[in-house]
Amino acid sequence: NKEWTKPSLEVLEVKL
Amino acid sequence: MTIQTTIPQMATIRQVPGNIVSDMDGEKVMLNVQLGKYFNLGEIGGRVWELIGHPMTVETLVDSLTAEYAVDRDTCEAHVRSFLAQLSEQRLITVSAAGGPDERA
Repeated sequence: NKEWTKPSLEVLEVKL
Repeated sequence: MTIQTTIPQMATIRQVPGNIVSDMDGEKVMLNVQLGKYFNLGEIGGRVWELIGHPMTVETLVDSLTAEYAVDRDTCEAHVRSFLAQLSEQRLITVSAAGGPDERA
């Protein structure tokens, strides 16, 4: 019964 | 404006290889060097990513998650399909229709 939270994708543009 | 892709329940989900994946404080993070993009999938999203390490249908994925987390099936499926649509938009997964060719590569 692990707690559920709505999954969401965070996207960051990075300078490599 | 974001266009959300609809992921069919019986579609098969596969990871697209080529990302550098790491765990950071319980959250799954990925770096796509070619695109210069950094992704944070979070804790639950990271678990989804682990599960689709082996190709599986949305239905099977939801089965696994509802067995592991305190969430009802309808809520879980809605959340997962929305999340998979985000992954698909970023070309992190491929979505194959049941018995058909890849819809998105």
